[in-house]
Amino acid sequence: MKAQKGQVKVITGNATAAYAAMLCRPDVVTSYPITPMSEVAEQLSAFHADGILDAEMVEVEGENSAMNVVAAASISGGRAFTATSSWGLSFMYDAVQQASGFRAPVVMAIANRETPGILAVSGGQQDIVSARDTGWIQIIVEDCQEIFDTIIMAFRLAEDYDIQLPVMVNYDGFYLSYLAQAVEIAAREDVDRFLEPLKQQPQRPRLVPGEPLGAGTHGIEIGFVELRYKHCTAMERATTKLDKIDKEFGELFGRSYGGQIEEYLTGDAEIIVIASGGAAGTARTVVDAKRNEGIKVGLIKIRLFRPFPRKRLVEALRGKKAIGVIDRSVCFGWNCGPMYMELRALSPDIGVVPMLSYIDGMANLDITTPHIERVIDETYAAARGKPYQEVTWIPLEE
Amino acid sequence: MAQQEKKKSRVFDYFCEKEDPYVGGVAWCAGCTLELAARFVPKVLGNDMVLVGCPGCSAPVFYGQNTGAWHRLSYFSCLMTGVASSATGISRYFRRIGKDVTVVCFTGDGCAADVGFQPLSGAAERNEHIIYICYDNEGYMNTGYQRSSTTPLGASTSTTPAGIASKGKPTPAKNMPLIMSLHGAAYVATATLSHLEDFAKKLLKAKEKKNEGFVYIHVFAPCNMGWRMESNSSIQVCRMAVRTNYFPLWEAENGKFRLTQETANPRPIQEFTRPIRKFAHLKEADIDKLQQMVDERYAFIKGLCAIGN
Repeated sequence: MKAQKGQVKVITGNATAAYAAMLCRPDVVTSYPITPMSEVAEQLSAFHADGILDAEMVEVEGENSAMNVVAAASISGGRAFTATSSWGLSFMYDAVQQASGFRAPVVMAIANRETPGILAVSGGQQDIVSARDTGWIQIIVEDCQEIFDTIIMAFRLAEDYDIQLPVMVNYDGFYLSYLAQAVEIAAREDVDRFLEPLKQQPQRPRLVPGEPLGAGTHGIEIGFVELRYKHCTAMERATTKLDKIDKEFGELFGRSYGGQIEEYLTGDAEIIVIASGGAAGTARTVVDAKRNEGIKVGLIKIRLFRPFPRKRLVEALRGKKAIGVIDRSVCFGWNCGPMYMELRALSPDIGVVPMLSYIDGMANLDITTPHIERVIDETYAAARGKPYQEVTWIPLEE
Repeated sequence: MAQQEKKKSRVFDYFCEKEDPYVGGVAWCAGCTLELAARFVPKVLGNDMVLVGCPGCSAPVFYGQNTGAWHRLSYFSCLMTGVASSATGISRYFRRIGKDVTVVCFTGDGCAADVGFQPLSGAAERNEHIIYICYDNEGYMNTGYQRSSTTPLGASTSTTPAGIASKGKPTPAKNMPLIMSLHGAAYVATATLSHLEDFAKKLLKAKEKKNEGFVYIHVFAPCNMGWRMESNSSIQVCRMAVRTNYFPLWEAENGKFRLTQETANPRPIQEFTRPIRKFAHLKEADIDKLQQMVDERYAFIKGLCAIGN
């Protein structure tokens, strides 16, 4: 049975995140303001004040506490949500790793922003890239509707009995956080219906007052190794699980996003451009234009960044002649884009073809259509044997 | 016979008539006051609680190892930065589902006064329904006796060692219980292991007050190893801390201060410092400074107690 048509509101990415979180009926919500996600905290507080959000709201004194509160509430058996950005994520780093190690199925929205080092009140993906080895599931979305839909899907994924891992839902800070778009807000009962399967599964382990059960035992030697192994295999299961949840979401709400990756005109494509977040939207337009010029180019939007969608990417990229990857952050120590670096690791499976790394869109700089045209043109030329530059910092070459 | 039973202290009841949630052979040092505190707290508060702790001297026993455990308590371990905040999450969730749960944080001073202070302060300000018990052994005793912000003036620790150019820690201890009481907490008290009856009363009060708001109990808990004192001297050191006014026993209920143990003729501070070798290097002038600090702090508490009366 299809979901009823939801109310359409023109709202910002931040407000969208708050709407989605509210409809998932969290038990405990924490918020600590930071640019550019503060509006999420404000909107959730407003929902709470208006009686729309029936949850424990904890106005913590810092992000570190925000994460500890939601992780502990989650281990106690509750549904928990928080949001942050950039330095906020850095400040909760110890708790972020503890949350995943404890298998606390928290959902956290992140309005991506550059991280400390150079003061930058501006968008970029360095924050989540810095957290890619924290054992969290990381999903990157493109527009406001996808923020809404993905937060709901994220709870299904996080709290799934086979997964039990925290999920970060990432959207471009500044661009999407403050951009108002028309968003279809699903009806409460339809969100309930979508989350219903979580109630049918076995109860996950939790803290029971008075019962001799500890959360956070001292895992030593083989005990530690076993837990790490189980964590890794749960991460692995999250890849296909996301595809399944995305498909189910599509069946109910009529919108789906390809699960781990979204492929656009990849089937017959000779070359592929890879992007994530809002840049994927721009890239889609440019791919259309280039197709009209006769260039067989396709687009892959990476949605799932952790766990890395290896199998899906290999299937989509095998046989392609060249790949251009656009990153909004850097990989220190490799001097290239992080997604590019990860794509390189797939070479043994997809064959050695020219792979080009483009660093663009850092610190609020736009990833423009001419930029993506350039990516496509150079990748196309590389596919035809022309020499190419491995890493290009687009803003520095303009 | 009946009279004899009447005389029996409540501490006896707690110790001998309640089930011990700990197994034998726990990994604490001989003479450890933290062990006494850790055993005493659940006996008074009851086993139906969630204990929240972090790395420190309490951790090896509280955490257990892999699937092994030394106690039968419900336990949540987290990092030193996350104790009061994790307790908030636990307390809020159980409040949301309508379950009355006593959430007890049990950490050392390194967590409470230093690295975990921000969340502790935040939780107190939000008036979370948590009991936070800090066992103050005046430093990082678990990691090798380094100084913390509750290490007293002049104490020689592994990071403030006494030497030709050093007289130990150059600054006095952060006055944690006072700071916590000024947060407007529902109940704040100091306690120590030589005065178990007093400690028990305060724990019972804590349990009563925790449904109104934040409770903080600061327990003076000497460390035989770190302070370099005999393992059979710990309770006597606790007693002398009270009798010298080095560690006055007081409580503040809804901001109203009261001394729970008045010392008629306070002993000179040397009687407290003498058996503790972390003070052994101090000269008379240094001891005088310590005495001055003790007198000032005691006068301050006395003054606060006078306000309400």
